[in-house]
Formats: sequence, structure tokens, C-alpha cells
Amino acid sequence: MLKWLLRGLRHGVVTTRYPARAEPAPPSFRGRVSVLDALNAPENLADLCPTDAIQVKDALVSLDRGRCILCGACVANAPDRFAFEATYETAARRRSALVVGQEAVAALEEALPTLGDRSRTLRRSVHIRHVDAGSDGAEEWEIQALTNPYYDMQRLGLFFTPAPRHADVLLVTGGVTHSMREPLLRTYQVMPEPKAVVAVGTDACSGGFSASMGEVAGGVDQVLPVDVYVPGSPPAPIAILHGLLLAAGIVTREAAA
Amino acid sequence: MSAEELAREDPLLRVLEGTGAVEEEPLRNPVRQLHIPLAELATATHSLIEAGGHFSGIFRSEADDSLRALLALRGELVVLRAPLDGARSYPALSRVTRAALLPERELHDVNGIVPLDHPRLEPVLRPNADELQRVVTGPETFVIPYGPIRSGVFEAIQFPIDTGGEDILAFTVRPYFKRRNLEARFSGLDFDQGAYLAERVAGTESVAEALAFAQAVEAPRLAQRWRVVHAELERIANHLDVGIKLAEDAALSVGVARFGVLKEQVMRLRARLCGSRFGRGVVVPGGIREKPLLQPAEVIEAIDAFEEDFRCDRSLLLATTSLTDRLVGSGRLDAETVIRYGGVGPIARACSLGIDARLERPYGAYGRLGFRIARATDGDAMARFEVRLEELDQSLHLIRQALERMNVETAAMRNGVGDASGEGCGWAEAPNGEVIYWLALEGGRVQEAQIVSPSLRNWPLLSESYRGDVLTDVSFIEHSFGLTPAGADR
Repeated sequence: MLKWLLRGLRHGVVTTRYPARAEPAPPSFRGRVSVLDALNAPENLADLCPTDAIQVKDALVSLDRGRCILCGACVANAPDRFAFEATYETAARRRSALVVGQEAVAALEEALPTLGDRSRTLRRSVHIRHVDAGSDGAEEWEIQALTNPYYDMQRLGLFFTPAPRHADVLLVTGGVTHSMREPLLRTYQVMPEPKAVVAVGTDACSGGFSASMGEVAGGVDQVLPVDVYVPGSPPAPIAILHGLLLAAGIVTREAAA
Repeated sequence: MSAEELAREDPLLRVLEGTGAVEEEPLRNPVRQLHIPLAELATATHSLIEAGGHFSGIFRSEADDSLRALLALRGELVVLRAPLDGARSYPALSRVTRAALLPERELHDVNGIVPLDHPRLEPVLRPNADELQRVVTGPETFVIPYGPIRSGVFEAIQFPIDTGGEDILAFTVRPYFKRRNLEARFSGLDFDQGAYLAERVAGTESVAEALAFAQAVEAPRLAQRWRVVHAELERIANHLDVGIKLAEDAALSVGVARFGVLKEQVMRLRARLCGSRFGRGVVVPGGIREKPLLQPAEVIEAIDAFEEDFRCDRSLLLATTSLTDRLVGSGRLDAETVIRYGGVGPIARACSLGIDARLERPYGAYGRLGFRIARATDGDAMARFEVRLEELDQSLHLIRQALERMNVETAAMRNGVGDASGEGCGWAEAPNGEVIYWLALEGGRVQEAQIVSPSLRNWPLLSESYRGDVLTDVSFIEHSFGLTPAGADR
């Protein structure tokens, strides 16, 4: 045991200071896609996207990051219109905020109040229950990574709990499959108020590739009220952390378009 | 030579003598395909298994309304094609191999085709978490519905455990809670899009899935060595993940932290190398998407630093008896059981079986690189973990070989695939065993896709491995398997 202790100590602190300090992504990291030029678009531009994230209406382009799987087909084929952005902070509190490009789909939609707004004590200690409702397995890796020394989410008062009755935040991955719908709903129902739901990953935001297959509901918000959307396929650990902090009301800075 | 004489010369046709097997046009790769009358499909499968063949999967293809069984025999993948011609039943392959149990239930659920005499043909694809079947009945026994939502951050799957309170009397594996019907989603996609979808079938083995898909499509391909680098980094990350989970089960906080650091280093290296922590968007039919973002020397440097750390943590972990005591003797499997169920990957190799697609049917650059197949003999959780650690070493070795003397500046990264048509099979050794893609292509698009998943091939073995174990062994044994439910629930 002593050897382990020494081993642990020898490496010093590797933990990020996020959110107190910004955590830059590697320069070529595929964090999200942005629209560089939304004007005068041909109709067939939408065909570039395998998950219908790109829409062309009246020659104006819009891109729904909640549907985007970050495959880069649009960036490769229309580099003058689309580009990757190396950023981690991609979470938003309103589904409509994930749609970018064509002049603001003006946010009439109200965001749900954060946990912090609803109960002041929840800014200090937030317990999280995760439910997989049909992910591809990668989101679970990235969520679990939040406990490793690089991210160490406990330092921010965020903890995983096995018991939904002790949980403040429900972290859902996957587009909600037929068999997971009922277990997911039941988990949500037994959680005490106030509670928040965070949809992690493009599948959880919209169903992603599986949206059209009838086996999934097409996103967590088809089943539950969602407080925060974290798009990405999968979103990086910092992106998930950003989403959790937004839900708790600890940070308020949302992903800027 | 007459056709009959030819048949006698050919070992495959000799094995299948009397089943009416007729050689057909090979697939694109080339993979041999034989026509078998539907009534003889089970007999032919039996003959191949008797001759040392390994059953991989069975599915129906819509285009020609045929059943196709995939078997690996002596370094060759063989497709047995049995036209249904409107028939809605056939003699079940499950009578001759247990490896067909789940695939045939899927076939029944999806297509309504009845495998006659299948031992258990209830619906399987949309499990209801509340409907539990007891395997053991008797006084003072009960069933624990472990899952689909479990303690911790895990994927959804259910393990109903029959117990008297301590001993595990029966352990059932219920997959398919996350079935997304992705095989059908491939229809109509172009080849690049197909690779992107393949990556999202099982996210933790994205590179292997994309490799198997791409190799079913492409003919000449480039950047083979870079593909090896990405695939082996993925293997390393997966094996480290098993280390994290096992250390966590044994409540070794520093072990969890150290292996967590190692895994994060690998994920960050992957992000620096291609922009994705999961190597996504790299493997595309014909080669890789673009020039890697790091120079070979930079990767080697990162690997060297990693290896030094890893060696230290590994020897510490293996000397920690509170972990190893829980692994030794837990969840023991024997080689015979693994063969009977068609097991693959580290699980099979921990029972001294030399099953590894990289060596059996070398693809890409693997045929030109040297590595040792990691094996152990005990077949228990410890043996599986040792195999993974040894493989991790071999992966580092493979990455170095692949990167040595590589000329990045001049090398092209990708060949065109054009508008390929026809059928193809591609395979790759994913971290948890071989994944196979069978594809029907038409004019540059995917018409039909079928996936043989390593998770699905290994799940039944998890049930078989609980012999005399107790409830506290459950997580150790499950995590020593290291399977991803998403792969089976495609």
C-alpha cells in the first residue's frame, strides 16, 4: 500500500483547473462544426450530412449540432462553408441554441431554471446518477474519465451516486431505446426535486444515426424534460463537465454560437 | 481433371462432401462462398466444425433471400449460402453449435424464420427488464435482477442472478437493451458514411469496426501502417480500461487513479494524432482520411514515456494481493467450453487458444509485422487480465515497428474506391475479439450490412464462467471479460 501511495505522489498534480481557468483543446481537436458561410447555398448541400444536421432553406444554411456526429463529411467537401472548432465547451441549456448558421432561430424557448436557482445548497454538492439509454459505449468512457486525476470532478463538489433517490442530476446517454425507456422513466420519477436532466452525446440529443430507425425515441427530450444538452460523438470529458456545471448553476457561460 | 477430382483435391470441398456444396463466385476480398441446399446447412456447418472450423455467425440477406453462415477454417473465412426460396424454416444450427444460439434467435425475431429444433426460441431483441425468468427454483432461492441500470457508470445490460443469498446458482446474460437496429441503417449510405456509422456501432472499438467495414469494401488500400497504429492504440485504451475497472472492484484507489492517468494519456495521444479521442473518422475505405497530425517520431516518443509509466504501475498492480487474490480462480473457463460457444479474443486466448484474426487471416500490415500472440492457460479472470497486459506490450511493440522508417512526407494516404458493387467480407481483431462485416454493395453504396460482433460471440461464455463463485465475484468476472454491450446490441 505504501508503494502505491508513493507512486501516486511521485507524479505531482496533473489535474485541470477548469472551470476557474480555461482548458484549451488540442489545436486540431474536432470539438464542434461551425458554419463559416451560410449564404447562397445549393439545395444539395444538405446531402453531405448522413444524419440530417445540415438544412438548406431559402438558400440559407443551418447546422444542428444536436444532430451532428462530427464525421467531417461537410468540412471535407465544403471547406469554405464548414470548419471544425477545437473547443470543449459545447453544452447548451436550450435545444434551439445548438442550431447555428442561418440567422438566429431566435431563442423564444425558455431554458429551465438551473439547480442552483432552485436550491442554493446544490451549488456546493451535486450527486449524479448515470443511465445508459442506448449509447455506443464511448460516452460512458468519457463520463467515467471525469473521476480520473486529470479531471477529478469531486473537487467541484460533483459525485456519482448509485441511488437515484440521492441524485440531483440524471446524466443520460443514448437516444432512448425501446427497452430502456421504462427503466429511464422510473429512475427519473424516483429522484427527489429539484432535479435536472443532462443529455450527453449526439445520440442523447437527437438519436444521431439511429434516429430514423424506429428502435429509439430520437433523443432524451422525447421522453423527459432536458435541462442541458451536451452534443458530441462522444463529447470530451471537459464538455460533459461543462454541461454538469451548467445544470447545477455553477457556471453560466453557455456554448457561444 | 474432372470436377469430382478437383473436389477431392480441395480440402474444404472434401470436408463438405455429401452436403451438396457447390463452389460459387468468391466475394470481393476474396472470400470463398459455397452454395449449400437449405436442408444441408446444419450438416455442412457440423462437418466444418468437426474439421476444426470456428462458427462466426448466421444471417439472412434480403437481396437474394438466402441464409448465410460464416465459418473460419484454417486461416480462411468461408461463406455458406443457402437460398431460402420462400421457405420459412430450416434445421437449426444451434443443434450443432451453441455459437448459433443467439444469432438464430435474432434471425427469428427480425425475419420470422424458424430454426427448427432450436432449444429456446423466445423473442430476444426487445427485453423487458421486469420479466425475469428463474433458472433455479426451490426453497430459499431467488433471482437478483442486476441491471439494466447498475451501480456506477456502465452500459445497459441485465444479468439476472439466481442465488440462495451468497452462491451464484445461475448467471444469465440478457443483452439487447440498447439495440438500435443499426445494421439496417447502413442501407443506402455511401462508403465513407458507412465507415462513420460502423464507428458508432461499438464506440469503444471504433477503429476496429471501421477497419472491418472498410476492408469489406476496398480493394487496394494505403496507409496500412497508420491503421495499425490507430487500431493498437485502441486496444491499449481498452485493456487499460479493464485495469481501471478491476482496480476499482478491489477498492484500490491509487491503482484506479494510476491506470486512469495511463488511459487518459493514450486518449490524449489519439486526440493529438487525429483530432478524435476515439480515432474516429480516420479509417475510411481506401486508406485513412488525411495525413496524421503527428510525426512518427513524436508518436514513438509518447509511447516510450507511456511505457515506462505503464511498466511500473503494472508490476505494482500485479504485486497487490488484494486484487490478484480476487482474480485467481474466479470465473474459470476451459478451452472446450470456449470452442463450443465460439468464443473469441482475450477470453479465448486466456484458455490457451491461439485465436487472433491478426495472425489467422492477417489483414493490412499485420502480415508484415512481427508480434507474439498473448496466451495464458488457466482460463480464469487472472489469466484474462494477464493476456490483456501482455497484449498491451505487444501493441506497443507493433506501433513502434509500424512507425519505424516511415516516410510521411511523400506517402499518399488514400486510394479511390470508386462505385464498387458486389459482396464483400472484412474483419479486424477488435480489443475484445474479431469483428466481421458482411456487405452487399451496389454502385458505390451499401445495400445491406451484417455485423458479427465479438461481444455477442462472448456473452454466453459469461454465463458459463460462474462455477462455484459468489456474489462478490460478479464484478471481477464481468470486468475481466471487458465486453461492450453496444457491440452486441447493434
